[in-house]
Amino acid sequence: MAQQPAIEPMHQFLIHKIVQGPVFHLGGLPVDMSITNSVASMIAGALILIIFFAATAKREIVPNRGQALAESLYNIVDRVLVGPIIGHDGKPYVPYIFALFLVILVLNLMSVVLAVGNVGGLDLTFAVTSQLAVTATLAVLTFFSVFILGFIKHGPKFLGLFAPGGMPVVMLIFMIPIEILSYFVRPVTLAMRLFGNMLGGHVVMSLFGSFVVALAIVGLSGGVATLAFIPSALSFTMIVALTGLELVVAILQAFVFAALATVYLNEVVNFGHGH
Amino acid sequence: MATETQESTQPAEAAASGGLPQFDFQWWPGQIVWFLIMFAVVLLFVRLFAAPRVGGGIEDREAKINGDIADARRLKDEAEAQAAAAAAETAQARAGAQRLGAEARAKAQAEIAARLAEEEAKLAEKAAVADARIAKARDAAMANVASIASDTAGAIVAKLTGRAASAAELASAKGS
Repeated sequence: MAQQPAIEPMHQFLIHKIVQGPVFHLGGLPVDMSITNSVASMIAGALILIIFFAATAKREIVPNRGQALAESLYNIVDRVLVGPIIGHDGKPYVPYIFALFLVILVLNLMSVVLAVGNVGGLDLTFAVTSQLAVTATLAVLTFFSVFILGFIKHGPKFLGLFAPGGMPVVMLIFMIPIEILSYFVRPVTLAMRLFGNMLGGHVVMSLFGSFVVALAIVGLSGGVATLAFIPSALSFTMIVALTGLELVVAILQAFVFAALATVYLNEVVNFGHGH
Repeated sequence: MATETQESTQPAEAAASGGLPQFDFQWWPGQIVWFLIMFAVVLLFVRLFAAPRVGGGIEDREAKINGDIADARRLKDEAEAQAAAAAAETAQARAGAQRLGAEARAKAQAEIAARLAEEEAKLAEKAAVADARIAKARDAAMANVASIASDTAGAIVAKLTGRAASAAELASAKGS
C-alpha cells in the first residue's frame, strides 16, 4: 500500500536553522542570531534588490528595459502615492516609502515566484512576510517612525491629532479615547493585514498542492480509483490560477502597506493644514 | 529510534498545540533583529544610491524633454517672425513696383499729351495760314469777277445801245 503523505499546510512556515550563530542577551531575552531559512530569505531579498538597482539605476535619457522597470517602481511611490497624497512636501520621504515598498514587494514575490525553484533544499522561497514577527516589526517601525516624526516636527501640539476640530466639549470626552484607540490600532492592522494575506494564500496553495499528489497516489492504485486523477488535475489547475492570484496579492499588499504608510505620514507632514 | 523521535518532536508539538508556527516565540528575537539589519541595509542603499539615481534619471529626462520642447517652440517663433518679415518685405517691394509703374505711366501719358498738344498747335497754325491764303485768293478772285462783270456789262451795253455806259451806271447796275 502506498504511503499517504501527510497534508500539513503549516509545515512551510516552520523555521529551522541553517547556520548556528551567536546568541546574545538583550535585557535578559536571548537573541539567537543563527541564519535560519527565514533569515536566509531576507538576505536573499536584500541581495536581489541591491543587485537589481545596481544594474538598472542609470541616468540614461533613453532607458533600457531594466531602467524602465526601476523607474516604474519608483514612480509608483513618487507619482502615485507620495505626490498626490502628501504633495511637494513629501519629496524627502520618498526614499523611505520606496525602501518599505521594495522590501515587502521582493519578499512577497520571492515566496510566490521562486517556489518553482525550491529544489535541493535551497530554501529561499520561505514566505518571510507571512511571519508575524516580521510584519509586526515592519508595522511598529513604520508607525512609531511616523509618530515620533510628528513630535519632532510639531511638538506637543501633535497631540491635537486626537481632538477633531469643531466638536462640542461634551463630545470630545467620547471622541478623544476613540481617536486614540483607532490611532494606536494602526500598527496592529498593518501587521495583521500583510501577515493574513500572505499566510492565507500560501496555506491554500499548499493545500491544493497536497491534493495533487495525494489524489494522484490514490489514482495509481488502479481500478475505479483511477478516477482520482481527475480531481488531481483540477487541483493542479487551481494551483496555476492561485499562483496568478497570489502574484496580484503580493504586489497589491506591498502597495497597500506603502500607501497606508504614506497616508499616516501625510497626517504628520501636513499636520494642521487639512484638520 | 531515539534521535528520530527527538527530531520529530518540534513540528509535532506545534501541531499538537494547534498554534501557527508563527507563534513559536523562540524565533522572534532573531528574526526581528535580522530583519531590522536587513531593512536598515536596504534603506541606506535606497536612500544613498537607488532613489537619487532613479529619481534623478527621471528628472533628467523630464528636464531634457521640457528643454527640447522650449527650444522647438523658440525656433518656431523665430521662423514665424522671419516669415512675417519676409512677407512684409515682399509687400513693400510690390508696393514700390506698383508706385514706380504708376509714375512711369503718368509720365508717359503727360509726354504723349504734350506732344499731341504741340502737334495740334502746329496743325492749327498751318490750317490758319492755309485759311488766310484761301480767303485772300477768294477775295482776289471775287474782285476779278466784279471787274470782269462790269467790263462785260459795259461791252454788252455798248453793243446794245451804241454808247458806252458810265462807270457809275455800271456800278449801280451791279449793286442791284
